[in-house]
Amino acid sequence: MPIPQQMGRGDRMGRGPYEKSGMLEDTSLPPLRTVTTTHDIFFPVKVEEKDGKKISTITSDTLDLEVKLWYLPFGTMDDDPFLWKEFKKTVKISTTGK
Amino acid sequence: MNRLRTITLAGLMLLTGVATALASPAGIGRDQTIAAQPKANSIAELAARYDSSSCVGCHQQAHDEWAKSLHARSIFGTGRTAATFKTAIVNGAMEWPASGVKGFKDVKVEHLMGCAKCHLPQLSEATDQVAQEIVTTINTWQDALRKEDEATAGKAEKTLSSLNINCLVCHNRNAITHKWSEGYPKKDTVYGSKAGDHMDAKFTKLAKGQIMSESILCGQCHGQGPNFDQENPTQCATLYGSYLFAYVPEGGHKTCQECHMRESKLGHNMQSYRSKAMAEKAVEMHVETNAVYWRDNTTIKPKAAVRIELTNRAGHGIPDG
Repeated sequence: MPIPQQMGRGDRMGRGPYEKSGMLEDTSLPPLRTVTTTHDIFFPVKVEEKDGKKISTITSDTLDLEVKLWYLPFGTMDDDPFLWKEFKKTVKISTTGK
Repeated sequence: MNRLRTITLAGLMLLTGVATALASPAGIGRDQTIAAQPKANSIAELAARYDSSSCVGCHQQAHDEWAKSLHARSIFGTGRTAATFKTAIVNGAMEWPASGVKGFKDVKVEHLMGCAKCHLPQLSEATDQVAQEIVTTINTWQDALRKEDEATAGKAEKTLSSLNINCLVCHNRNAITHKWSEGYPKKDTVYGSKAGDHMDAKFTKLAKGQIMSESILCGQCHGQGPNFDQENPTQCATLYGSYLFAYVPEGGHKTCQECHMRESKLGHNMQSYRSKAMAEKAVEMHVETNAVYWRDNTTIKPKAAVRIELTNRAGHGIPDG
Protein backbone atom coordinates (compact mmCIF):
# COMPACT_ATOMS: atom_id res chain seq x y z
CA MET A 1 0.00 0.00 0.00
CA PRO A 2 1.12 3.60 -0.30
CA ILE A 3 2.88 4.24 3.01
CA PRO A 4 2.12 7.88 3.85
CA GLN A 5 4.80 10.11 5.30
CA GLN A 6 3.98 12.02 8.46
CA MET A 7 3.71 15.72 7.59
CA GLY A 8 5.82 15.15 4.47
CA ARG A 9 9.08 14.81 6.36
CA GLY A 10 11.30 12.25 8.07
CA ASP A 11 10.93 8.52 8.37
CA ARG A 12 7.65 8.14 10.24
CA MET A 13 4.43 6.91 8.78
CA GLY A 14 1.42 9.16 9.20
CA ARG A 15 -1.84 7.60 10.21
CA GLY A 16 -4.77 10.00 9.98
CA PRO A 17 -5.23 11.93 6.74
CA TYR A 18 -4.54 15.14 8.66
CA GLU A 19 -0.94 14.10 9.17
CA LYS A 20 -0.25 12.49 5.82
CA SER A 21 1.59 14.60 3.26
CA GLY A 22 4.04 12.43 1.43
CA MET A 23 4.97 8.86 0.72
CA LEU A 24 7.68 6.76 2.37
CA GLU A 25 7.27 3.75 0.13
CA ASP A 26 4.66 2.15 -2.04
CA THR A 27 4.05 -1.57 -1.87
CA SER A 28 0.74 -1.47 -3.70
CA LEU A 29 0.16 -3.50 -6.83
CA PRO A 30 1.00 -1.15 -9.71
CA PRO A 31 -1.68 -0.81 -12.40
CA LEU A 32 -1.43 -3.00 -15.50
CA ARG A 33 1.65 -4.77 -14.21
CA THR A 34 2.28 -8.26 -12.94
CA VAL A 35 4.13 -8.67 -9.67
CA THR A 36 5.78 -12.05 -9.25
CA THR A 37 7.00 -13.58 -6.02
CA THR A 38 8.46 -17.01 -5.41
CA HIS A 39 8.41 -18.92 -2.16
CA ASP A 40 9.98 -22.18 -0.99
CA ILE A 41 7.77 -24.11 1.39
CA PHE A 42 9.59 -27.03 2.89
CA PHE A 43 7.92 -30.35 3.63
CA PRO A 44 8.05 -31.28 7.29
CA VAL A 45 10.82 -33.75 7.94
CA LYS A 46 11.94 -35.89 10.83
CA VAL A 47 15.70 -35.59 11.42
CA GLU A 48 17.47 -38.54 13.02
CA GLU A 49 21.11 -39.24 13.60
CA LYS A 50 22.39 -42.55 12.35
CA ASP A 51 26.03 -43.63 12.36
CA GLY A 52 27.05 -40.04 13.08
CA LYS A 53 25.08 -38.71 10.16
CA LYS A 54 21.89 -36.70 10.16
CA ILE A 55 19.20 -38.43 8.18
CA SER A 56 16.03 -36.55 7.30
CA THR A 57 12.87 -38.39 6.42
CA ILE A 58 9.70 -36.77 5.19
CA THR A 59 6.71 -37.27 7.48
CA SER A 60 4.29 -36.95 4.59
CA ASP A 61 4.70 -37.03 0.84
CA THR A 62 1.95 -34.47 0.41
CA LEU A 63 1.78 -30.83 1.38
CA ASP A 64 -1.39 -28.75 1.52
CA LEU A 65 -0.67 -25.29 0.17
CA GLU A 66 -2.84 -22.26 0.68
CA VAL A 67 -2.09 -18.91 -0.90
CA LYS A 68 -4.24 -16.02 0.31
CA LEU A 69 -4.18 -12.43 -0.84
CA TRP A 70 -5.40 -10.26 2.02
CA TYR A 71 -6.12 -6.58 2.04
CA LEU A 72 -5.74 -5.08 5.50
CA PRO A 73 -7.36 -1.63 5.33
CA PHE A 74 -6.18 -0.75 8.80
CA GLY A 75 -2.90 -2.59 8.74
CA THR A 76 -3.70 -5.63 10.90
CA MET A 77 -5.67 -8.84 10.70
CA ASP A 78 -7.63 -7.69 13.77
CA ASP A 79 -9.42 -4.88 11.99
CA ASP A 80 -11.71 -5.59 9.04
CA PRO A 81 -9.41 -7.80 6.94
CA PHE A 82 -10.55 -8.58 3.42
CA LEU A 83 -9.72 -11.85 1.71
CA TRP A 84 -9.24 -10.85 -1.91
CA LYS A 85 -8.03 -14.09 -3.52
CA GLU A 86 -7.43 -17.62 -2.41
CA PHE A 87 -5.64 -20.62 -3.91
CA LYS A 88 -5.44 -24.14 -2.55
CA LYS A 89 -3.56 -27.13 -3.82
CA THR A 90 -2.07 -30.29 -2.45
CA VAL A 91 1.34 -31.05 -3.91
CA LYS A 92 2.93 -34.45 -3.83
CA ILE A 93 6.56 -35.46 -3.82
CA SER A 94 8.05 -38.76 -4.90
CA THR A 95 9.01 -41.34 -2.32
CA THR A 96 11.40 -43.36 -4.43
CA GLY A 97 14.93 -42.60 -5.57
CA LYS A 98 17.82 -41.47 -3.47
CA MET B 1 -5.73 73.27 1.60
CA ASN B 2 -9.04 72.36 -0.02
CA ARG B 3 -7.20 71.14 -3.11
CA LEU B 4 -4.93 68.94 -0.96
CA ARG B 5 -8.02 67.48 0.81
CA THR B 6 -9.65 66.77 -2.57
CA ILE B 7 -6.55 65.01 -3.87
CA THR B 8 -6.27 63.00 -0.65
CA LEU B 9 -9.94 61.98 -0.85
CA ALA B 10 -9.56 61.04 -4.51
CA GLY B 11 -6.50 58.98 -3.61
CA LEU B 12 -8.38 57.21 -0.84
CA MET B 13 -11.30 56.48 -3.16
CA LEU B 14 -8.92 55.10 -5.77
CA LEU B 15 -7.25 52.86 -3.19
CA THR B 16 -10.65 51.69 -1.93
CA GLY B 17 -11.68 50.94 -5.50
CA VAL B 18 -8.51 48.92 -6.11
CA ALA B 19 -8.97 47.05 -2.82
CA THR B 20 -12.60 46.26 -3.69
CA ALA B 21 -11.59 45.04 -7.12
CA LEU B 22 -8.91 42.83 -5.59
CA ALA B 23 -11.33 41.44 -3.01
CA SER B 24 -13.98 40.48 -5.57
CA PRO B 25 -13.33 37.04 -7.00
CA ALA B 26 -12.86 36.92 -10.74
CA GLY B 27 -15.22 34.90 -12.86
CA ILE B 28 -18.36 35.85 -14.72
CA GLY B 29 -21.36 33.81 -13.72
CA ARG B 30 -20.19 32.94 -10.24
CA ASP B 31 -23.28 34.76 -8.98
CA GLN B 32 -25.54 32.24 -10.76
CA THR B 33 -24.31 29.20 -8.88
CA ILE B 34 -26.02 27.38 -6.02
CA ALA B 35 -23.21 28.64 -3.82
CA ALA B 36 -24.06 32.28 -4.57
CA GLN B 37 -26.41 32.85 -1.68
CA PRO B 38 -25.94 33.60 2.00
CA LYS B 39 -24.09 30.81 3.77
CA ALA B 40 -26.12 28.01 5.32
CA ASN B 41 -26.47 28.32 9.08
CA SER B 42 -27.37 24.76 9.98
CA ILE B 43 -26.94 21.20 8.78
CA ALA B 44 -30.61 21.24 7.80
CA GLU B 45 -30.12 24.40 5.73
CA LEU B 46 -27.09 23.01 3.98
CA ALA B 47 -28.85 19.70 3.31
CA ALA B 48 -31.86 21.58 1.93
CA ARG B 49 -29.64 23.63 -0.36
CA TYR B 50 -28.31 20.44 -1.92
CA ASP B 51 -31.57 18.54 -1.63
CA SER B 52 -31.83 16.16 -4.57
CA SER B 53 -35.02 14.39 -3.48
CA SER B 54 -36.86 15.80 -6.49
CA CYS B 55 -34.57 13.73 -8.74
CA VAL B 56 -35.87 10.46 -7.31
CA GLY B 57 -39.24 10.54 -9.04
CA CYS B 58 -37.73 10.17 -12.51
CA HIS B 59 -34.35 8.70 -11.64
CA GLN B 60 -35.35 6.04 -9.16
CA GLN B 61 -32.82 3.48 -10.32
CA ALA B 62 -29.89 5.88 -10.20
CA HIS B 63 -31.02 7.00 -6.75
CA ASP B 64 -31.35 3.47 -5.43
CA GLU B 65 -27.92 2.58 -6.76
CA TRP B 66 -26.41 5.71 -5.25
CA ALA B 67 -28.07 5.03 -1.89
CA LYS B 68 -26.02 1.83 -1.59
CA SER B 69 -22.74 3.70 -2.14
CA LEU B 70 -20.57 5.51 0.36
CA HIS B 71 -21.28 8.72 -1.55
CA ALA B 72 -24.71 8.60 0.11
CA ARG B 73 -23.13 8.89 3.56
CA SER B 74 -19.90 10.64 2.81
CA ILE B 75 -19.30 12.20 6.20
CA PHE B 76 -20.70 9.33 8.24
CA GLY B 77 -19.33 6.49 6.11
CA THR B 78 -19.37 3.24 8.02
CA GLY B 79 -18.93 5.31 11.17
CA ARG B 80 -15.18 5.44 10.71
CA THR B 81 -15.40 8.54 8.54
CA ALA B 82 -17.33 10.48 11.17
CA ALA B 83 -14.88 9.27 13.82
CA THR B 84 -11.96 10.43 11.67
CA PHE B 85 -13.52 13.90 11.30
CA LYS B 86 -13.27 14.07 15.08
CA THR B 87 -9.80 12.53 15.26
CA ALA B 88 -8.59 15.16 12.82
CA ILE B 89 -9.69 17.75 15.38
CA VAL B 90 -8.53 16.00 18.57
CA ASN B 91 -5.24 14.55 17.30
CA GLY B 92 -4.69 17.22 14.70
CA ALA B 93 -6.00 20.76 15.13
CA MET B 94 -6.09 20.67 18.94
CA GLU B 95 -2.43 19.60 19.06
CA TRP B 96 -1.19 22.12 16.52
CA PRO B 97 -0.12 25.37 18.19
CA ALA B 98 -1.18 27.70 15.40
CA SER B 99 -4.50 26.12 14.41
CA GLY B 100 -6.55 28.29 16.74
CA VAL B 101 -8.33 25.23 18.12
CA LYS B 102 -8.04 24.53 21.82
CA GLY B 103 -11.42 22.90 22.24
CA PHE B 104 -14.38 21.80 20.16
CA LYS B 105 -15.96 25.24 20.49
CA ASP B 106 -13.10 26.71 18.44
CA VAL B 107 -13.73 24.50 15.41
CA LYS B 108 -14.58 26.46 12.28
CA VAL B 109 -15.40 25.43 8.73
CA GLU B 110 -11.77 25.83 7.70
CA HIS B 111 -10.70 23.27 10.30
CA LEU B 112 -13.04 20.70 8.80
CA MET B 113 -12.21 21.40 5.16
CA GLY B 114 -9.21 19.04 5.25
CA CYS B 115 -11.80 16.26 5.38
CA ALA B 116 -14.72 18.14 3.87
CA LYS B 117 -12.92 19.19 0.72
CA CYS B 118 -13.90 15.79 -0.57
CA HIS B 119 -16.31 14.33 1.97
CA LEU B 120 -18.52 17.41 1.90
CA PRO B 121 -17.22 20.09 -0.48
CA GLN B 122 -20.41 22.13 -0.08
CA LEU B 123 -19.39 22.80 3.54
CA SER B 124 -17.45 25.76 2.18
CA GLU B 125 -20.89 27.32 1.66
CA ALA B 126 -21.77 27.12 5.34
CA THR B 127 -21.06 29.24 8.37
CA ASP B 128 -18.95 28.15 11.31
CA GLN B 129 -22.22 27.33 13.09
CA VAL B 130 -22.52 24.33 10.77
CA ALA B 131 -18.99 23.23 11.60
CA GLN B 132 -19.97 23.43 15.26
CA GLU B 133 -23.14 21.46 14.64
CA ILE B 134 -21.23 18.72 12.80
CA VAL B 135 -18.71 18.34 15.60
CA THR B 136 -21.44 18.37 18.26
CA THR B 137 -23.43 15.76 16.36
CA ILE B 138 -20.40 13.48 16.03
CA ASN B 139 -19.77 13.86 19.76
CA THR B 140 -23.42 13.10 20.51
CA TRP B 141 -23.28 10.03 18.27
CA GLN B 142 -20.14 8.70 19.98
CA ASP B 143 -21.48 9.40 23.48
CA ALA B 144 -24.73 7.65 22.62
CA LEU B 145 -22.82 4.61 21.33
CA ARG B 146 -20.87 4.44 24.58
CA LYS B 147 -24.10 4.62 26.57
CA GLU B 148 -25.76 2.11 24.22
CA ASP B 149 -28.45 4.69 23.53
CA GLU B 150 -29.44 3.45 20.10
CA ALA B 151 -32.19 6.01 19.54
CA THR B 152 -29.88 8.99 20.05
CA ALA B 153 -27.06 7.38 18.07
CA GLY B 154 -29.44 6.61 15.23
CA LYS B 155 -30.75 10.17 15.19
CA ALA B 156 -27.23 11.60 15.09
CA GLU B 157 -26.27 9.17 12.32
CA LYS B 158 -29.30 10.25 10.33
CA THR B 159 -28.39 13.92 10.77
CA LEU B 160 -24.81 13.33 9.65
CA SER B 161 -25.95 11.20 6.73
CA SER B 162 -28.22 14.00 5.53
CA LEU B 163 -25.04 15.64 4.27
CA ASN B 164 -23.52 13.73 1.42
CA ILE B 165 -22.23 13.62 -2.13
CA ASN B 166 -25.51 13.47 -4.00
CA CYS B 167 -26.88 14.22 -7.48
CA LEU B 168 -26.30 17.95 -7.17
CA VAL B 169 -22.69 17.70 -6.09
CA CYS B 170 -21.59 15.71 -9.15
CA HIS B 171 -24.22 16.89 -11.64
CA ASN B 172 -24.05 20.56 -10.70
CA ARG B 173 -21.56 21.88 -8.16
CA ASN B 174 -18.54 19.83 -9.24
CA ALA B 175 -19.67 19.22 -12.82
CA ILE B 176 -17.42 21.94 -14.22
CA THR B 177 -13.76 22.05 -13.28
CA HIS B 178 -12.68 24.74 -15.75
CA LYS B 179 -15.10 27.52 -14.88
CA TRP B 180 -13.39 30.35 -16.72
CA SER B 181 -13.41 28.45 -20.00
CA GLU B 182 -16.81 26.74 -19.72
CA GLY B 183 -18.69 28.98 -17.31
CA TYR B 184 -19.85 28.41 -13.78
CA PRO B 185 -22.43 25.71 -12.99
CA LYS B 186 -25.83 27.39 -13.05
CA LYS B 187 -28.21 26.91 -10.19
CA ASP B 188 -31.11 25.91 -12.49
CA THR B 189 -29.17 23.37 -14.55
CA VAL B 190 -28.40 19.69 -14.29
CA TYR B 191 -25.21 18.67 -16.07
CA GLY B 192 -25.30 15.28 -17.71
CA SER B 193 -25.04 13.62 -21.09
CA LYS B 194 -27.33 15.90 -23.07
CA ALA B 195 -28.74 19.41 -23.29
CA GLY B 196 -32.35 20.54 -23.30
CA ASP B 197 -35.27 21.16 -21.01
CA HIS B 198 -35.58 19.33 -17.71
CA MET B 199 -38.90 18.43 -16.10
CA ASP B 200 -38.23 19.87 -12.69
CA ALA B 201 -39.56 22.96 -10.94
CA LYS B 202 -36.18 24.09 -9.70
CA PHE B 203 -33.73 22.59 -12.19
CA THR B 204 -35.40 23.45 -15.44
CA LYS B 205 -32.47 22.95 -17.81
CA LEU B 206 -30.14 20.20 -18.90
CA ALA B 207 -26.65 20.87 -20.16
CA LYS B 208 -24.04 18.53 -21.48
CA GLY B 209 -21.32 18.31 -18.87
CA GLN B 210 -17.95 18.18 -20.62
CA ILE B 211 -16.35 16.03 -17.91
CA MET B 212 -19.22 13.84 -16.75
CA SER B 213 -17.66 10.79 -18.42
CA GLU B 214 -14.09 11.81 -17.74
CA SER B 215 -11.80 10.72 -14.94
CA ILE B 216 -11.12 14.31 -13.93
CA LEU B 217 -14.64 14.52 -12.51
CA CYS B 218 -13.74 11.86 -9.96
CA GLY B 219 -10.18 13.14 -9.63
CA GLN B 220 -11.46 16.28 -7.92
CA CYS B 221 -11.84 14.20 -4.78
CA HIS B 222 -10.02 10.92 -5.38
CA GLY B 223 -6.96 13.09 -5.58
CA GLN B 224 -3.29 13.40 -6.25
CA GLY B 225 -1.80 13.76 -2.81
CA PRO B 226 -1.37 16.64 -0.35
CA ASN B 227 -3.88 19.47 -0.75
CA PHE B 228 -1.44 22.35 -0.87
CA ASP B 229 -4.25 24.84 -1.26
CA GLN B 230 -4.97 24.38 2.44
CA GLU B 231 -3.30 26.12 5.37
CA ASN B 232 -2.32 22.72 6.78
CA PRO B 233 -2.23 20.23 3.91
CA THR B 234 -3.92 16.88 4.29
CA GLN B 235 -3.57 13.81 2.13
CA CYS B 236 -6.40 11.37 2.08
CA ALA B 237 -6.68 10.22 -1.51
CA THR B 238 -3.85 9.64 -3.97
CA LEU B 239 -5.79 7.59 -6.49
CA TYR B 240 -6.08 10.09 -9.32
CA GLY B 241 -2.32 10.60 -9.08
CA SER B 242 -1.85 6.87 -9.50
CA TYR B 243 -4.24 6.94 -12.46
CA LEU B 244 -2.35 9.81 -14.13
CA PHE B 245 1.21 8.81 -13.40
CA ALA B 246 1.13 4.99 -13.26
CA TYR B 247 -1.93 3.68 -15.12
CA VAL B 248 -1.79 5.95 -18.15
CA PRO B 249 1.99 5.53 -18.68
CA GLU B 250 1.38 1.75 -18.77
CA GLY B 251 -0.98 2.29 -21.69
CA GLY B 252 -4.21 2.47 -19.71
CA HIS B 253 -6.95 4.53 -21.30
CA LYS B 254 -10.19 3.69 -19.52
CA THR B 255 -11.98 6.22 -17.38
CA CYS B 256 -13.11 5.76 -13.77
CA GLN B 257 -16.71 5.71 -14.98
CA GLU B 258 -16.03 2.96 -17.54
CA CYS B 259 -14.85 0.50 -14.90
CA HIS B 260 -16.78 1.60 -11.81
CA MET B 261 -20.12 2.41 -13.43
CA ARG B 262 -20.54 0.83 -16.85
CA GLU B 263 -18.47 -2.38 -17.03
CA SER B 264 -19.27 -3.25 -13.42
CA LYS B 265 -22.96 -2.65 -14.19
CA LEU B 266 -23.13 -0.97 -10.78
CA GLY B 267 -24.15 2.38 -12.23
CA HIS B 268 -24.30 5.01 -9.50
CA ASN B 269 -23.47 2.46 -6.84
CA MET B 270 -19.78 3.12 -7.19
CA GLN B 271 -17.84 0.51 -5.29
CA SER B 272 -14.34 -0.74 -4.80
CA TYR B 273 -13.02 -4.02 -3.37
CA ARG B 274 -16.09 -4.73 -1.24
CA SER B 275 -18.00 -5.37 -4.44
CA LYS B 276 -17.40 -8.92 -5.62
CA ALA B 277 -17.62 -7.79 -9.24
CA MET B 278 -15.01 -5.05 -8.76
CA ALA B 279 -12.65 -7.21 -6.67
CA GLU B 280 -12.67 -10.06 -9.16
CA LYS B 281 -12.14 -7.74 -12.09
CA ALA B 282 -9.34 -5.77 -10.47
CA VAL B 283 -6.83 -8.43 -9.48
CA GLU B 284 -5.79 -11.66 -11.14
CA MET B 285 -3.87 -14.21 -9.13
CA HIS B 286 -2.06 -17.06 -10.82
CA VAL B 287 -0.19 -19.63 -8.79
CA GLU B 288 2.18 -22.31 -10.05
CA THR B 289 3.55 -24.98 -7.76
CA ASN B 290 5.77 -27.99 -8.03
CA ALA B 291 7.40 -30.22 -5.47
CA VAL B 292 11.12 -30.92 -5.72
CA TYR B 293 13.89 -32.39 -3.67
CA TRP B 294 16.46 -29.77 -2.88
CA ARG B 295 19.78 -30.80 -1.45
CA ASP B 296 22.71 -29.02 0.01
CA ASN B 297 26.02 -30.59 0.91
CA THR B 298 24.67 -32.90 3.55
CA THR B 299 20.91 -32.85 3.64
CA ILE B 300 18.02 -33.43 1.31
CA LYS B 301 15.06 -31.14 1.81
CA PRO B 302 11.85 -31.68 -0.08
CA LYS B 303 10.06 -28.47 -0.85
CA ALA B 304 7.22 -26.98 -2.77
CA ALA B 305 8.28 -24.18 -5.05
CA VAL B 306 5.45 -21.66 -5.22
CA ARG B 307 5.35 -18.94 -7.84
CA ILE B 308 2.66 -16.30 -7.40
CA GLU B 309 1.73 -13.80 -10.08
CA LEU B 310 -0.53 -10.89 -9.14
CA THR B 311 -1.77 -8.69 -11.94
CA ASN B 312 -3.55 -5.44 -11.22
CA ARG B 313 -6.09 -4.73 -13.95
CA ALA B 314 -7.43 -1.60 -12.28
CA GLY B 315 -6.78 1.96 -13.38
CA HIS B 316 -4.76 2.74 -10.25
CA GLY B 317 -2.56 1.08 -7.67
CA ILE B 318 -4.20 -1.39 -5.33
CA PRO B 319 -4.81 -0.46 -2.63
CA ASP B 320 -5.38 3.23 -3.08
CA GLY B 321 -8.26 5.58 -2.40
